[in-house]
Amino acid sequence: MKLKALLKAGVLGVSTLAMASVAAAQDKTIRIVGFGAASGVVGIFGQNSSAAMSAAFEKINAEGGVELADGSKAMIETEYYDDRCNAEEGISVLRRIASTDALVAIGPTCSNVAEPLFGILQAKVDDEGDTGLQFPVFTDVAIKGGLAGISEWVFRNTPSESQMYDDLFAWLRTNHPDLKTIYGGVEEDFAHSRFTWYSVMKTAAEKHGFEVVGEAQWLLSDTNFSNQARGMRRAEPDVVAISAHPFTTCGMLREMTRQRIQPKILVGLTSSSSLETLSGCANEAEGLTIPTSFAPVNEEAKAAAEAVVAKGGQMDLHSASAWENAMILKDIIEAAEIGGTPETLEEDRRKIRDALAELENAPGLLGSNKRLPDGEAVKPYVFVHAKDGSWDVLHNPGS
Amino acid sequence: MDYFFIIDFVQSLVDGLLFGTTYALIGIGFTLIFGVMRKLNLAYGAAALAGTYIGVAAFLAFDAPPPVVFLLSALGSGIIGIVVYYCCFRFTPTQVPMASLLASVGMLLFIDEAVVHASHGMPVPYPSVFRNAIIEIGDIWVRGDLLFVFGICVVAMGVLFWLLYRTPLGLATRAVSQQPRAAALCGIDPTRVNLLTFGISGVLGGIAGAMTAAAVGVLSPIIALGLTVKGLIAVVIGGLGSIPGAIIGGLLVGASENIFLLLRGVTERDIYVMLMLFLFLTLRPGGLFGSTAGRD
Repeated sequence: MKLKALLKAGVLGVSTLAMASVAAAQDKTIRIVGFGAASGVVGIFGQNSSAAMSAAFEKINAEGGVELADGSKAMIETEYYDDRCNAEEGISVLRRIASTDALVAIGPTCSNVAEPLFGILQAKVDDEGDTGLQFPVFTDVAIKGGLAGISEWVFRNTPSESQMYDDLFAWLRTNHPDLKTIYGGVEEDFAHSRFTWYSVMKTAAEKHGFEVVGEAQWLLSDTNFSNQARGMRRAEPDVVAISAHPFTTCGMLREMTRQRIQPKILVGLTSSSSLETLSGCANEAEGLTIPTSFAPVNEEAKAAAEAVVAKGGQMDLHSASAWENAMILKDIIEAAEIGGTPETLEEDRRKIRDALAELENAPGLLGSNKRLPDGEAVKPYVFVHAKDGSWDVLHNPGS
Repeated sequence: MDYFFIIDFVQSLVDGLLFGTTYALIGIGFTLIFGVMRKLNLAYGAAALAGTYIGVAAFLAFDAPPPVVFLLSALGSGIIGIVVYYCCFRFTPTQVPMASLLASVGMLLFIDEAVVHASHGMPVPYPSVFRNAIIEIGDIWVRGDLLFVFGICVVAMGVLFWLLYRTPLGLATRAVSQQPRAAALCGIDPTRVNLLTFGISGVLGGIAGAMTAAAVGVLSPIIALGLTVKGLIAVVIGGLGSIPGAIIGGLLVGASENIFLLLRGVTERDIYVMLMLFLFLTLRPGGLFGSTAGRD
């Protein structure tokens, strides 16, 4: 009788111990935070990124979380920090994030924040003379080309605009051999739009035989575009390329309609392939052609878009990168054998950095994303155009 | 000087003058409040923007026609103007002049944030009238919608002048503006006059906001800063406290920014407008029509 009771107690003790260790594993969390502009006039970028990250991590957690080095499972905890698209605030936010138990950060959204912010990170790993911050940043939105080269702690999953526009103008040349001239319109005071026109669109257009017959410049908060449109009207271009964000893109498109400017092809900035443009000026944007690294063209992309909408956001090329980053980081955490304890935090961050640096391909919503040695990515993309109030796939170069 | 340059110059001038009426309306709002209370309401542009959003909400929710949207924008802005008065001016200590100024700065940021938060910063379509109407005078095109903006702004100014110079309310407002203590002794309630001034200024701001959004066809929180800055420049040039000055200042700012855009490009345009402001502040701080008469 005594032996039976003793055995019972033993079994109970062992099972309690086992349950306790399972519970402890279940309690483990890994913090991956996002940061970017979640308020202010470009706050929609951060809000969409935040929604995409939340939706992606929720999916990962629902499927059991991530596996750590000791074989236990951990849930992913996330939080989004607002930098208001301001460089000083962005730097301060990243320093704050690095002082917490966050393993890696996804962000920022604005290129004008990204550029100085990447400068506070250690430029070369293991450079003892460089006291820069040693913290991995996996950028989703800030799209201006070549920024990952600033620090070896920076990785970006943003589309390669130079490749996308090069391909777009090559495609236009093939399919519309009659088109000869192009006129550019650029929002001068925004790093991304400025860079994209002068260094990407213009270069690609000239490379494929389009003659640039003029350029019009305006600022982000401008409300009058008649001067700029007048020059465009006189030049009578076959193609008009607008490198601007939705508010001024809409203002300019309306002015073009008013001045009866009817180019055969309208090309827009990657960031304009969003709901904002359509909600602002769907009629005037009709036909606007943009290369984008996201469109709901397969089941996975559709499901992801629905999950983000359920979180109150919208899926576009930027928030799609946030979703992909979350999924890539899950694989990285498992492959790099992350300890997930306060004691291994520094070592874990380094493992994340090294694993991201070694990555050659990563899964994406439109297919496999190629990872480049400089921390940049080349992502699959499609050409979309505005049609009947929505973005419709015009051409899929990958198909 | 080639033909196209002359056409461009005249066209820029016409567009600038027409669009400048919105700056004039904002300038009048600033100047009315300053004239009556001797205080600057820096939340004015933001209140105008918030009122414009009230109008656009009706457009998006009920597909309200443009006149209703414009009216709601104006009334909404008027109501917000009254709220701003109660929050930032009515109860702030008069012996600390900076208190109301800083309170209005706080209100500017608050309203701006609230609008951005509610709209997610996304541009929304704003109804226009005569959007694609153009009056062609040779090579000069006069935009129908800007002509409408100009007309509405002129009517608003006309109504304001009638209110100020032909009604007891206007008499009371001018009395408080010139001699508040004497006006109070004559039985005029300064608080009521201040309240109405904020309401009327708000309505004018709402009209300016609505007309700006109607001219672009899109409404975005981005326009608040432009309205505030250009309105302030207009009143400094015209003379703080002078309604004709605000009108002339607004037209001047509208025209000169378009001319500078033509001559020097967009990146230098605002430098010259700011230089104009600096020159006026230095050489003629009272502006073009600034009153030199004191008050009690």
